[in-house]
Amino acid sequence: MTVKTYAVEVAGVRRELPVVQVGPGVAVALFNMLGDTEVVEEAAAALAKRMPADVETLVTPEVKAVPLAHALSRLTGRPYVVARKTEKPYMINPVSRTVISITTGKPQLLVLDGTDVPLIKDKRVAIVDDVVSTGSTLKGLSDLIADVGGQVVAVMAVFTEGSPRNDVIALGHLPLFKPE
Amino acid sequence: METYPITIGKITRHVPVVETLPGVHIPLVEIMGDVELVQAAAEGLVKHLPPETDALLTLETSPIVLAHAMSTICGKPYVVVRRKRRPYMQDPIIQEVESLTLGVSETLWLDSRMAEKLMGQNVALVFDVVSSGGTMNALEKVAKKAGAKVVARLAAFHQGNSKLPITFLSEIPILQTA
Repeated sequence: MTVKTYAVEVAGVRRELPVVQVGPGVAVALFNMLGDTEVVEEAAAALAKRMPADVETLVTPEVKAVPLAHALSRLTGRPYVVARKTEKPYMINPVSRTVISITTGKPQLLVLDGTDVPLIKDKRVAIVDDVVSTGSTLKGLSDLIADVGGQVVAVMAVFTEGSPRNDVIALGHLPLFKPE
Repeated sequence: METYPITIGKITRHVPVVETLPGVHIPLVEIMGDVELVQAAAEGLVKHLPPETDALLTLETSPIVLAHAMSTICGKPYVVVRRKRRPYMQDPIIQEVESLTLGVSETLWLDSRMAEKLMGQNVALVFDVVSSGGTMNALEKVAKKAGAKVVARLAAFHQGNSKLPITFLSEIPILQTA
């Protein structure tokens, strides 16, 4: 079996992404930064340069964008908060929202630990993600940040996917594919 | 809120103490979100990497940032084992975790595309906190199924009394109340 791939460049680093079917009639170029230290570091450096100067806190959804948020935080000195996908027993006053994920088609919970809320409340927040596609996670996360009194001033991602969108600071764009 | 001081290198954090079972209190460590602590732990742990190490192997979620930071220092790649099956996975390695925590069962997943990278490699397992060792044993089995050899077991913190073959930087007690 030959594997179809799609060539991308992330901040000067080239990668061949496998094109995989994720649902009936839909295939995507699979971008997975986990374990790709070079891509994470180069993407973080490029996004740091484009981050609006007034951003006070970074918020990222679990899991794949977490190393990117970590690297961006290290480079910019802004703290980062991870929105978890499950409520943990140790969380204090957790705040949550449910979104429908395009990737899995299932309802997905997004949860902030109450102890992280002071980093978001009355702060200017940048959302950091690996790929912004339909924007369902983005919408849920934006609502969640607003719920706790934060103001989303920027959305930063390595790629947008599907329809191009100008509300995201991105380093590249991924098309959707038809399965063969 | 009761807190307990934990230290790695020059970084000290006063972390919350939570009651996990009646009378059993543990300091709760969360390295994710704490860039300084992760950097200090990464710098401490890379010194314990055997020279023959080819790659780091970790699992989601919190230890990912530690593996990433270690990777930026030592230049070795890392692979992340998932706790959920993802839609894109093909022929994943599936490994049950034998957990000591009552009523909680867990499964680890590694996509075959990632597993292929581990074939014949010397890997170091990377954790933020190791307590019972159940998760560590499961990750070790994933490594073996992928054809890798485990050459080190590294953790930022060790919690509890179990004697495990791990290298760690800091001990976290389990606090009992009478």
